[in-house]
Amino acid sequence: MSQLSLKRLEKSFNEARIIKGIDLDVSEGEFVVFVGPSGCGKSTLLRMIAGLEDVSAGEIEIGGNIVNELPPVQRGIAMVFQSYALYPHMTVYENIAFPLRVEKLPQAEVDSRVQAAARVLQLESRLQHRPGQLSGGQRQRVAIGRAIVRQPKIFLFDEPLSNLDAALRSEMRIELMELHKRLGSTMIYVTHDQIEAMTMADKIVVLNAGEIAQIGSPLELYHKPDNLFVAGFIGSPKMNFINGKVRAADGSNVTVDLGKLGTISLPRTSRDVAGQDVTLGIRPEHLSLDGGQFVIEITPNIVEHLGIHTIGYAILPGGENFIGLFEGNPDLEDGKPMKVGFDIDQAHLFDSRGLAVY
Amino acid sequence: MSDVARSTEVAAADSKASVKPQAKARRGLWSASRPMIDRYKWYEVAALYAGLFVFLFFVLAPFIEGFLVSLKPLAQLFSTPYSFIPENGSFDAYINMWTSVPMLGMHIFNSFFISTVVTLIVVAVVVPAAYAFARFNFAGAGLMLAGFLAVNMFSGAVLLIPLFRLMRTMGLLNTYWAMIVPGAAFLIPSSVWLLRTYMMRIPRELDEAAWVDGASRLYTLRRVILPLAMPGIVVVAIMTFIGAYAQQFIFALTFNSKTEFMPLPIGLFAFFGKQEVVWNELMAASFVGILPVMIVIVFLQRYLVAGLTAGAVKQ
Repeated sequence: MSQLSLKRLEKSFNEARIIKGIDLDVSEGEFVVFVGPSGCGKSTLLRMIAGLEDVSAGEIEIGGNIVNELPPVQRGIAMVFQSYALYPHMTVYENIAFPLRVEKLPQAEVDSRVQAAARVLQLESRLQHRPGQLSGGQRQRVAIGRAIVRQPKIFLFDEPLSNLDAALRSEMRIELMELHKRLGSTMIYVTHDQIEAMTMADKIVVLNAGEIAQIGSPLELYHKPDNLFVAGFIGSPKMNFINGKVRAADGSNVTVDLGKLGTISLPRTSRDVAGQDVTLGIRPEHLSLDGGQFVIEITPNIVEHLGIHTIGYAILPGGENFIGLFEGNPDLEDGKPMKVGFDIDQAHLFDSRGLAVY
Repeated sequence: MSDVARSTEVAAADSKASVKPQAKARRGLWSASRPMIDRYKWYEVAALYAGLFVFLFFVLAPFIEGFLVSLKPLAQLFSTPYSFIPENGSFDAYINMWTSVPMLGMHIFNSFFISTVVTLIVVAVVVPAAYAFARFNFAGAGLMLAGFLAVNMFSGAVLLIPLFRLMRTMGLLNTYWAMIVPGAAFLIPSSVWLLRTYMMRIPRELDEAAWVDGASRLYTLRRVILPLAMPGIVVVAIMTFIGAYAQQFIFALTFNSKTEFMPLPIGLFAFFGKQEVVWNELMAASFVGILPVMIVIVFLQRYLVAGLTAGAVKQ
């Protein structure tokens, strides 16, 4: 049975519809990541689950009860905010103890729970400090500690790592994943960073303009994006898109005319796309310098050497940007034409509405 | 070690390495031991201090003259040519004033008392009001805030007659309340504006975090917002206290005729005799009367500074 389920959930601010009917089921213990570009409504959705925003239409169910009208504390959730929202005038101890003080628990109980949380988060030596004396990562842990002591059924994280620098971010990512393993509770995590989404999630919910673009495991989204948006959003560097026109669709193959780049034939059973303008997608990392089933010639105008990878940027005859990512340190140069190839089964095809063609 | 100390030390180390060694010996505003941005030429420093002196002299001259007057015997005040520096100056006026106006102590107490009560009332009213205006969206909030500004544009003097009738109807004339109620009423609007702005700078996420953790609005106000807004509240308290002290004159003059309730500004009229004004004692009494305000400000300022450093809201 799902622990959290959203049914046709909608949110409007005045005339503007921010969330346009979301259906989602989250099972107990799952790590779910909401990901999407800024303004897609992911934070609003999280705040609705938390009880910080009211629901315009639809239902939020937690543990089988409709909680639309319940305040956050009765929903059994705890939330970690982007800015951590620590109380600067209180010590770390009092920050973590805050929810318990609100509940008016006896001091002995407060103390044992705070100490337990501090042990889990390695904050024992910091309990008497104020948030201002802590580093970003430690503040983050205090914010998590404040969520843990309530022993909630569901943890909500609103872009918790976006204020940290890159090194600390990957460190905290690992810590959060370990925490999830140890506590085994359901976690819902909002981020605009697809690396966080890909590395942490059991299930990713890609949101676009208030709607779910796709739900799936990280690898599902990577290998089988349902639409252009997900294809372009997941993966870094971004998937290359080449515009083309379907010449023929015979039920086993779709033949696409890519203009000056030639004609490519992909194994697709759909017949509906015949004559449509379509988009061919190929990930930069699926390109290779030594042949492939389909080869095109590009002239990179910028080459980045990263040691482990080399990235070339080019513009195709049709005007599309094209990126190639190659292992190691091959001999690429600005302005020097080169041939890159890929295998047909690595290519993605999207119809004129942007939906994947199978 | 403080940041400032560290940076000056770094600058000093730099100058030791690169600039000639004698530079480090000099101290002061133009010294090489300061960071580049704080270094000035000697004539720039001289100009800064000259400017400061002119400004301070302009502001403080009346006080200086007042103080000098309080030291002079009365006869000397009317001598020609007038001498600013007292000859045979003494503090006699500070002793004699208590006997020539026996109620003086009472007047000073009244001033202090009225201002204190006004301050307490204003703070008690303004804190929840400012929180409401800073956090809640309610119908008419903008209108009320605009109204507050409008009220501030009227000075109490314009409204004296309606206020007088109001006080008479409510039976408040010739009581402390006659000076406290209008005093507080005229000081609340600007304080609401001030504290509202201060509270709006406290991140809303703190309220939300508390709400998620089950705290009620009042609990959040008490445990989270109040401590963080303390510097702002202290500023409001200081401003209110000074404002209440300054505006007593007009309300006391109009709404009160009982000597025992009179605050200091009116009490000073007692030094205006039938024949002559006892200027030196008047000045002495003024200075003694200001003293409590000075003490309060010095006292509260310590909290102000402490609050500012402790309440670092920025994450």
